[in-house]
Amino acid sequence: MYVAVKGGERAIARSLELLAEARRGDTAVPELELVQIRQQLRLGVARVMQEGSLYDEELAALAIRQAAGDLQEAIFLLRAYRTTLPRFGYTEPLTTQAMRVRRRVSGTFKDIPGGQVLGPTYDYTQRLLEFGPSIQNETVEADEPLAASMPRVLDLLDAEALIERIDPGSDPEPTDLTRDPLMFPADRATRLQNLARGDEGFLLGMAYSTQRGYAESHPFAGEIRMGEVDVLICPEELGFTIEIGEITLTECQMINQFHGGNGVPPQFTRGYGLTMGEGERKAMAMALVDRSLRCDELGEAAYAPAQNQEFVLSHSDNVEASGFVQHLKLPHYVDFQAELSLLRTLSAQQRKASAGQEALS
Amino acid sequence: MLAAFDHPVFDSQRNFRELLQAMARPAMPRTLPVLPPAPAPATPAAMAVLLTLCDTSTTVWLQQPHDALAQHLRFHTGARLVQEPAEADFALISDPQTMPPLTAFALGDSRYPDRSASLVLQVEGFHPGTGYRFAGPGIRDTERVRIDGLPERFWTERAALAPRFPLGIDLYFVAAQNVLALPRTTRKLED
Amino acid sequence: MSSTYNSNAYNFGFLDENTKRMLRRALLKAVAIPGYQVPFGSREMPLPYGWGTGGIQVTAALLGPNDVLKVIDQGADDTTNAVNIRRFFGRVAGVATTERTADASVIQTRHRIPETPLREDQLLVFQVPEPEPLRTLEPREAETRTMHALADYGLMHVKLYEDIAQYGHIATSYDYPVMVDGRFLTSPSPIPKFDNPKLDRSPALMLFGAGREKRLYAIPPYTRVESLAFDDHPFEIQRWEHRCAICNAGDSYLDEVVVDDRGTRMFVCSDTDYCSQRSDNAATEEAA
Repeated sequence: MYVAVKGGERAIARSLELLAEARRGDTAVPELELVQIRQQLRLGVARVMQEGSLYDEELAALAIRQAAGDLQEAIFLLRAYRTTLPRFGYTEPLTTQAMRVRRRVSGTFKDIPGGQVLGPTYDYTQRLLEFGPSIQNETVEADEPLAASMPRVLDLLDAEALIERIDPGSDPEPTDLTRDPLMFPADRATRLQNLARGDEGFLLGMAYSTQRGYAESHPFAGEIRMGEVDVLICPEELGFTIEIGEITLTECQMINQFHGGNGVPPQFTRGYGLTMGEGERKAMAMALVDRSLRCDELGEAAYAPAQNQEFVLSHSDNVEASGFVQHLKLPHYVDFQAELSLLRTLSAQQRKASAGQEALS
Repeated sequence: MLAAFDHPVFDSQRNFRELLQAMARPAMPRTLPVLPPAPAPATPAAMAVLLTLCDTSTTVWLQQPHDALAQHLRFHTGARLVQEPAEADFALISDPQTMPPLTAFALGDSRYPDRSASLVLQVEGFHPGTGYRFAGPGIRDTERVRIDGLPERFWTERAALAPRFPLGIDLYFVAAQNVLALPRTTRKLED
Repeated sequence: MSSTYNSNAYNFGFLDENTKRMLRRALLKAVAIPGYQVPFGSREMPLPYGWGTGGIQVTAALLGPNDVLKVIDQGADDTTNAVNIRRFFGRVAGVATTERTADASVIQTRHRIPETPLREDQLLVFQVPEPEPLRTLEPREAETRTMHALADYGLMHVKLYEDIAQYGHIATSYDYPVMVDGRFLTSPSPIPKFDNPKLDRSPALMLFGAGREKRLYAIPPYTRVESLAFDDHPFEIQRWEHRCAICNAGDSYLDEVVVDDRGTRMFVCSDTDYCSQRSDNAATEEAA
């Protein structure tokens, strides 16, 4: 006698126990402390904060530990936490010109006012595994302090009117994608918001496709800068602006060739990327995808996936994608049964039909 | 300043369930379980609807925007009060006899017909079993009810909107402790 | 965890009140425009997208302390995802739960409508993966929105007609599209077409939530719901040559179960409550 499988509740409870055990591993080995994750896995923390849309290193570190290092799972944990947080207000627009720069490079000019600043980068590490304990460097003093003023490279071109001008304050008030659903066509502010939350891997692939000919893209890395920016709010009851802290940001401004069209004269155009924390790969990819998504506005032929805003924006979010891809492991046996009986009918029909054919011939 | 709901979480949940049933079963009065205090000219039943559904992300138009009422609503919901009926997500009609024509309110657009106004109308009373007969989704056969306190032009204006479906306006009538809804799909029958 | 963050800081039903109000406003509009997909600010839930987040948000907006909740997946109360969602609401809302259809005030479901007829005082909440019935035919939301605005459903009729031309009948066995009140083409969610007739003029209000796609819709009670068909190819539901091996029902949707490695099959009710009620009744009658 068949008895329907019961005991889902117990099975889940046992699974959770196994998960806790597997996550912790050998209890003779000390558990990772959040401060270790924050400090020694800071790029993982940055990615989780960025795609989790919540700037909180401690919570991101907690999520990474709880997710056993699975960054997408950690992002999901952080998102599910932030969704319930009350909103106290919105910050003033961040001023990245006033960033306290720790890294700043430009691919378009050999030297720039304020200089090129490599900062902490993996770019020139030669990728040789460093066996043995990590080397403890003495703290090194800079030969000279960084320039106090680091104008944005694109502003230099702006003075010559060779690059499209973005008027500060010309943007409409952005919608909040965590409160309102994405609608199409989406304006640029909304698209950037979506890309900022988007999966780094997805954006990287999309960006790469634009370089390989799947979009009109002739980019130069105008400037990439990373450092700290003040966060300001203007509470209604105070009526003036106060600083509530600082956050680390990575900003990328791409410069793209543009031969003119849709009433816009020939000039350099911009693609923009911004991430919380150190997230250079993501910021660059985002800037390329931002630019390719501007095809309609600039009258460019749109034929490539990275130019199709519904395609890009609907599939960029890894919390959505991961959930839906993995939901296939849920039971589908009712629908499968429906398909099974349909298939049986169809194949019986076909057998009958071919038997009829044979009888005729 | 008067208070709002004593138990905001549970009071709005209970009221919402009645509003949902009212909208799902048009032309049938339901009793609102929790009535909050309300500054004139709003009635407690109208205030119950507004407190249940409005917050900082909604706009409200008051037909009679008395100071105490406007402040009360701003304070307890954070809703933005608007001057033009066409800008309102919700409108409180405290004197139906002098209300603007229904076409003054947002009907939604054809791709997003949900971006349309919901009206809360303070009327004198409902009398099920008499008056006009209604049919449409949510009504098993037909439902008869008389709604007292509406100008006769109201029904002509409403009938004129019907061909524009899915555009339309959704109505919550309140009287004493009761609410009765007429979504845009409910047809007044001619008999 | 540091003391800054309180792990019990969640509101009744998990969602904050602003989110519930947003959902409630959207639900009321959904009921007012039967079958129309209302965009809503879907939140990230602590369960993954595609696992019922839309249904969970709708349920969270509905639930009060006096509700009795039933959760089913594939018709069964004890499938792991149903158990998990029930556990979630037990934890964040503390509501009573039940496996009996007749005892529930709110039923959240994935892929089935219970066999036991629903009543006017019950609410049925569907989890919906893809709310747009036209999506597989037209991937662009901007286009499908316009089709709904114009009630231009030619694309779907052509698809069904091509099925008939190619296979002799309509080759859709679940998520079979319906017209709601003669106006909006609507996805009934991936229920087997066997369940479609239960949508028509149902005494219970039916609410649909698609969390990942951020859409809500509703079918009010006593509303005309027609499964698409052609005059010469009327709509038909699945039928079985078998009866349920447990309760002997001949009128319920059956799951096919492989019981040994020689491929022996048996058929049992997918609705576990319906099946056990019938078995219990039979046992009582026998005892009497």
